[in-house]
Amino acid sequence: MTKFRRTTSLQRTQQRMAVLFILPALAIYGLFVLYPLLMSLWGSFFTWKGLRMQEFAGLANFSRLFVFPSGARLYGALWHNVAWFFGIMLLQNGLGLLFAWLLFLRGRGAAFFQSVFFFPAVLSPVIVGALWRLLLAPGGIVEWALNGLGLHQGSLTVLGNSHTALGMLIAVDAWNWMGLPVLIYTAGLRQISPQVFEAAKLDGAGNARMLYAIALPLLMPALGTLTTLSFINTFNQFDIVYVMQGVQGNPSYATDTLVTYFYRLAFGAEGAVGITDIGLALALGTMLFLILSIGTLLMLRFFDKRTVEL
Amino acid sequence: MSAVAIPHRLARLPGWTILLVWTAAVLLPLYILVVSCFKTTAEIYDNRLGLPQSWALDNFVRAWTRADLGHNFINSLIVTGGAVILTIVVSAMAAYPLSRYKLGWNGIMLGLFLSGIMLPIRLASVELFTLMRSLGLLDSLTGLILVYSAIRIPFAVFIFANFMRVLPAELEEAARMDGAGETRILFQIVLPMVKPAVSIVAIFTAIAVWNDFFFPLIFIFDDRYKTVPLAISVFVGQFRTDWGLVFASLAISMAPILIMYCLLARQIREGVGAGGGMK
Repeated sequence: MTKFRRTTSLQRTQQRMAVLFILPALAIYGLFVLYPLLMSLWGSFFTWKGLRMQEFAGLANFSRLFVFPSGARLYGALWHNVAWFFGIMLLQNGLGLLFAWLLFLRGRGAAFFQSVFFFPAVLSPVIVGALWRLLLAPGGIVEWALNGLGLHQGSLTVLGNSHTALGMLIAVDAWNWMGLPVLIYTAGLRQISPQVFEAAKLDGAGNARMLYAIALPLLMPALGTLTTLSFINTFNQFDIVYVMQGVQGNPSYATDTLVTYFYRLAFGAEGAVGITDIGLALALGTMLFLILSIGTLLMLRFFDKRTVEL
Repeated sequence: MSAVAIPHRLARLPGWTILLVWTAAVLLPLYILVVSCFKTTAEIYDNRLGLPQSWALDNFVRAWTRADLGHNFINSLIVTGGAVILTIVVSAMAAYPLSRYKLGWNGIMLGLFLSGIMLPIRLASVELFTLMRSLGLLDSLTGLILVYSAIRIPFAVFIFANFMRVLPAELEEAARMDGAGETRILFQIVLPMVKPAVSIVAIFTAIAVWNDFFFPLIFIFDDRYKTVPLAISVFVGQFRTDWGLVFASLAISMAPILIMYCLLARQIREGVGAGGGMK
């Protein structure tokens, strides 16, 4: 009986202490993350005058988003984000797999290469963007090197050219984050039992075949993590564009992304006069929220189904 | 033996070449960054790859004082330090009952926190701006500390809860027998047992906060409160022709992270390899 009473009193203490212990974290997280996010979703169904919510407008903001003058910006930015995602999948997560595989086959020196490859990932995208902006500038060192090697003549304007600018930004982003796929793939490869590879070797499988036929199917969880992370990061892309090409995504919106467009709508840098359009910004935010949540869920399910267990 | 070993080694050559090419692609830009810090703009044009004529600190001094990067640097230190401490304290407090008590609502509450790991908080920046303005937290380092902690709490709770869950139950029972209160059990017994979790949270919070640019861009207008990344984004345009100064400010702004990375490279690699989300 006394034992029973003691546990209930302990449980009562625990319930009270739990509330006290959780409250500070919940208050900060609720106030500065959950509340503004829910209000933003809610507000996208209203008309706005400056920063003041006016009246319920149904889906009016959303339909305005897709037509002139916003339509061209929206589709342009969306296309750039999609291209960015596939570019990163190929350049960063594809090359990263090759690097991780080479390191795995060698074993020796893996920690050194991993540390070097990962180093840019701890730098701010602002620093990385600013550094590459200096290196790629007309008169910069890349121009000098390409001229010296005879690969290019005259002034290098890859960042000012609307055909090449987006590709350069994607490459800089891949340079920034290359260490991430290398680390995640290597961790995945080390979890595969060495006997699997030895058996394949005895059967006469070459390195390329082992990567394709054995390692890749077993790396599905790693690939799933990377695809999801790259998707989220790509559709939040802002810093590199802002620092290298300005908030308009120069030249002539060729590097505009959904978040730079959102920023211009919300904080007044869109168009010649730079007036904010909060209704439009919130509608774009809600749309991006849906793209991100649905996309993430679909990807997690897709890779979950394809996970092979040995 | 050598008849087999030599072709074997030759076969490995292309692989080594690929790895070394990427190593150069990472290290060369950083090398150029470092040597350019010590060169005048004219010297940067004349002597592209070589070492500087003299290791003059002129660019650093000008970046620190004339461009006032020193001020931004101190702001960034305050914001990063404040956010790391606040995040660790409140997240460890929340994770302790959620992972160690039988409350009946652990799962729901933990789920509420974890859902925040993936939330695209930038999209809430309009409402966040309105909120910060009404709380008087615009142009304030405290405001930044609160926002960054709020964003990092989900990841921190997740890490702390995972580490605390596997501790033996006898741990608190013995302490409770001795009459220790719950607060003391958390801070003097449980927290020292999960030191690896504390360092993971501290490292990744520090990197994310030190590097962030978006929230200062929205919330900070007064030069006195600007953080390093925000200042850098201005310098790149403002001192466009003064390359030595810009290179030096880039070097200064990455120095703390560089030092931390050299000291903690192994923990960082393991933390990321274990699937810890970075951004």
